Amino acid sequence: MNEGLNPIDLIFDASPAVQLVFLILLTLSIVSWVIIVQRWLVLSAAQKGVLSFEQRFWSGMDLSQLYKEGTQMQQEDLQIVGMENIFRAGFKEFMRLRQQSSVDGEAIMEGAQRAMRVAYSREEEKLERHLSFLATVGSVSPYIGLFGTVIGIMNSFLGLATQAQATLQVVAPGIAEALFATAIGLFAAIPAVVAYNRYSSALDNVTSSYITFSDEFSSILHRQIHSN
Amino acid sequence: MNTPLNNLVIYNGYPLSIVIALVIHIMIFLTLLYLQSASEAQSLELVQPTVIKALFIDENPQLRNQQLREQRRVEQVEQQRRQEQQRQEAERLEREAQQQREAEQQRLAREQAALREREELERLRERAEREEQERLEAESQRRRQQEIAAEQERSRQQEAQRRRQQELAEASAAEAARTEFELVQSATALIQQAVQETWSRPPSARNGMRAVLQIRMLPTGEVLDAVITQSSGDPAFDRSAENALYRAAPFRELQSLPINVFNANFRSLSLIFEPEDLLN
Repeated sequence: MNEGLNPIDLIFDASPAVQLVFLILLTLSIVSWVIIVQRWLVLSAAQKGVLSFEQRFWSGMDLSQLYKEGTQMQQEDLQIVGMENIFRAGFKEFMRLRQQSSVDGEAIMEGAQRAMRVAYSREEEKLERHLSFLATVGSVSPYIGLFGTVIGIMNSFLGLATQAQATLQVVAPGIAEALFATAIGLFAAIPAVVAYNRYSSALDNVTSSYITFSDEFSSILHRQIHSN
Repeated sequence: MNTPLNNLVIYNGYPLSIVIALVIHIMIFLTLLYLQSASEAQSLELVQPTVIKALFIDENPQLRNQQLREQRRVEQVEQQRRQEQQRQEAERLEREAQQQREAEQQRLAREQAALREREELERLRERAEREEQERLEAESQRRRQQEIAAEQERSRQQEAQRRRQQELAEASAAEAARTEFELVQSATALIQQAVQETWSRPPSARNGMRAVLQIRMLPTGEVLDAVITQSSGDPAFDRSAENALYRAAPFRELQSLPINVFNANFRSLSLIFEPEDLLN
């Protein structure tokens, strides 16, 4: 008669369908949190990488020297991120085409730019990997929670039908359990949506700085071709 | 480029992220557990009505008057006895004084007549002896009387004590009966409350309806069976009463009752269902 209703009991006393919903939502929540943290690490590393590489690039260092440093880092099994990859792809292609005397200046520029574009899209893809999962969790998990709620309320009304006398005590646990499903759905969705919005704006910043850099770098290369 | 952050981003930072995500969820789960324990601590319990033990110390004017009368009588007897004693003492003193006076006279007479003296002396001694004897007799009689009075007093006191003890025993028996009555009352109140909570009256219930259910119960508080001994005339009403009883059962509170109290009061019990608070 005096059973306290609390969240833990709600989870374990729920009907199998609602428990399945709880399980799905819990998994989604955990995975979305994994992605939130992992993306945060990747994106902040990319932002830091942009700053530090721009500093090195505009420090007046010789470009082939910069390229050699990168090669050395690769040999030391250090990860090369973001902007430096774009620079390396463009510079490599530029040097390779420059050594072939038959290729004219415009073709060299075109080749370098293409290489940079490929590297850029690879970098962008790396950065925005799994972000769409966050968007999916953010939009779908409230619906999953709602589904659990509907099933739970349906169950409690079915239970009510078998009772001769309708009291609140018969329906209340079922409805509480059902509402708890919605609560978990929102609990999974809210961080995912917030993180998705935040990370996509950070991604925009980083990719636009990549584009700016590749434009600047190609103008430098262009100058180098035409100065000779 | 070899920042601490890069060290965290080993394997693209997945291990760290998984650990953090799991920690977050486990923390939330623990918070829920904590809330549960907190809510369990303050979960409401069915409060058993406390048995209020009110001893009625009766102020019986008749009894009190009787006691007062008794006391007054004792005092009177005492006073009488004292007066008697005083009187006897006075008599004795007077007698002694007279004796002395007579002895004086005798001595004078002895001086007056030597011959007559011996006879007179003899006679006087005889009288003195007789009087002495008389006095002794009176003394012993008085003592006997005193003893009788003391005896009577003692027996009366014993009687009073016995009566008081008897009264005390009667009072304790009455008290036991009263606590049993209180137990029965509190258990009945619990049953009533439980049944009332589960009773939902049908729309056809009207004021003045009355259904009486004769129920038989086991000492475990379970209801063996219930029979409608007096129908309200409305089958729905009767059924609702019966349903309420079966849903309120078992009455686990009855387990705590002494078995004799249970047998005397709850083995068979009739419950009256009346919708008193309805407007129509």
